[in-house]
Amino acid sequence: MYRYDQFDARLVAERVAQFRGQVERRLSGALTEDEFKPLRLQNGVYLQLHAYMLRIAIPYGQLSPRQLRRLAEIARDHDRGFGHFTTRQNIQFNWVALKDIPEVLAKLADVEMHAIQTSGNCIRNTTTDHFAGAAQDEVVDPRAWCEIIRQWSTFHPEFAFLPRKFKIAVTAAEHDRAAIRVHDVGLHIRQKDGVTGFEVHVGGGQGRTPHIAALVNPFVPETQILDYLEAIMRVYNRYGRRDNKYKARIKILVSELGEAEYIRQVEAEFAAQRDAEKIDLPAAEVARIHAYFAPPALAPKPALSKPLEAAKAADPAFARWTRANLHPHKVAGYASVTVSLKPLGVAPGDATDAQMELVADLAEKYGYGDIRVSHAQNLILPHVALDDLPDVYKALDAAGLGAANESRITDMIVCPGLDYCNLANARSIPVALAVQKVFADPAYEEDIGKLHINVSGCINACGHHHVGHIGILGVDKKGEEFYQILLGGRADEKAALGEIVGPGLKAEDVPAAIHRVVEFYRTQRSSPSEKFIDTLERLGHQTFQEALYAAG
Amino acid sequence: MSSVRPKLKPETPKAVTGWATATGRSVWLRADGSWTEEAGLLGVFTGDDAEARLAAALKQEAVVTDPYFMEVTADGKIAGRETLRESMRAQPALSFGGAA
Repeated sequence: MYRYDQFDARLVAERVAQFRGQVERRLSGALTEDEFKPLRLQNGVYLQLHAYMLRIAIPYGQLSPRQLRRLAEIARDHDRGFGHFTTRQNIQFNWVALKDIPEVLAKLADVEMHAIQTSGNCIRNTTTDHFAGAAQDEVVDPRAWCEIIRQWSTFHPEFAFLPRKFKIAVTAAEHDRAAIRVHDVGLHIRQKDGVTGFEVHVGGGQGRTPHIAALVNPFVPETQILDYLEAIMRVYNRYGRRDNKYKARIKILVSELGEAEYIRQVEAEFAAQRDAEKIDLPAAEVARIHAYFAPPALAPKPALSKPLEAAKAADPAFARWTRANLHPHKVAGYASVTVSLKPLGVAPGDATDAQMELVADLAEKYGYGDIRVSHAQNLILPHVALDDLPDVYKALDAAGLGAANESRITDMIVCPGLDYCNLANARSIPVALAVQKVFADPAYEEDIGKLHINVSGCINACGHHHVGHIGILGVDKKGEEFYQILLGGRADEKAALGEIVGPGLKAEDVPAAIHRVVEFYRTQRSSPSEKFIDTLERLGHQTFQEALYAAG
Repeated sequence: MSSVRPKLKPETPKAVTGWATATGRSVWLRADGSWTEEAGLLGVFTGDDAEARLAAALKQEAVVTDPYFMEVTADGKIAGRETLRESMRAQPALSFGGAA
């Protein structure tokens, strides 16, 4: 993984010192909250419903064991013993006192971490495929380009005060696991005639006005991608709306201009760049950064593991876990493991300090020191030998991390909702847990197969409800929580926005309604292998809508 | 805030709430002028007294952040349009930390 150079280390250290002074002035009253707010937001500090929340960047979701152990230590010493992994592949601590945050940031700087650009109207953490570097279907490892984009976008003076926040996602696999079409900019790395380049999508997003991104350029060679991103950002920075925060995202600009006109403006900006302002990224520097992401030296192994097969035969629960939580690895004899942070009854995405330390230990012992955070709020061990899976599972299961549910109905993306969030209108976590209970039987859940339920507690859509196969959106109607159900969303290469199917439901009615929809699917699917979303798209929403509200 | 804070009439019973600056914990103003993390101990204010209490709170930048009025009943129960949100602040429904 990338290691800080002297400039990175100094920059982060100086930022910690600067923020320490700002916090001291805030605590003394020398700075008012109005003065301090933009400063704290630039350091990832929000003031939420019950306390300050500190959001820490995990660039493209990659962590070392040392870093994860440090996060565990912070959870234990400065929070309530847990942290919350987010859809931006970051982590949030929900109970950190402001007076302690400079110390926390210093501890993070020791392990090459920070909270810079995790808030504010700037370019946020670039996200990517959580199986990057291990996935069979990627053309290159996208992490090096994420790192290059990170370096370009961090403290970029021209883009520090954009009209609104800006999110970039990168994939290099045909099957999009990074949800690039619902990002401000989505980049798909492709290869053409021996040249690596980027398919560029712009103007996707969720929130109150969801959009699927427009394809702006089918192939930008890698040597030009930063210049092309500059052109995209400049058009947005100049013409994006600053008069109305609800219309300030780039998706609104693309929509209001129209795709053709927006593309014309970007191409004109790109063409007008003078030689002197083009980003001359030396090939040697690109190669240097790529070298940080060299794959681990995986000793060749048989594709069929005898210890694995024996353990599967002996333990049905383990066998089920291997069917759900493993992803094929590009090297035979290995797999990528999803460590589910969605066990029944636990707030989705939460991990305790002890669990974080366990995953760090397992990564060190079995996983070549590599850990990822997925945008679905799980942890990943991308390189584990098949022979080692029984031991890995045993340790995970003993720590409450053995849920066999990756991409299944209980593996929900869920925002913090009104239990934590100052913006939320309704609670997300309790309704998600109530739905989980209905599908708690592992055999039943396995029979249902892949099905994404995403839950948000308000229209800001942090729980990605627009792109859940089933989306649940909490709303406040005169002081009472109601939940609107959406059907048909998806975040992959066939990205689509779900549609609200009817009137909102009371919280207590949601689990049964979801159950009816799922049962309807099971009776209608063409075969057990036809996924929920495929059955829904084949039959149309109307019949599913009727099932949702039947006897409701 | 999930929405614009409602304007309350002078005669409407109200409490003053905000966040402790050092810790960020939700706090409520007691009748004796001190701040408490227990919503059940909040003071109920009306009219000019309420306005004076809020004005004083706004000057305590080092102690309390972003103080504002919340609607309550005469006996201090949370009331009004923001009942759901304020109830969550006062008494979280989730058992934080691990099992929810």
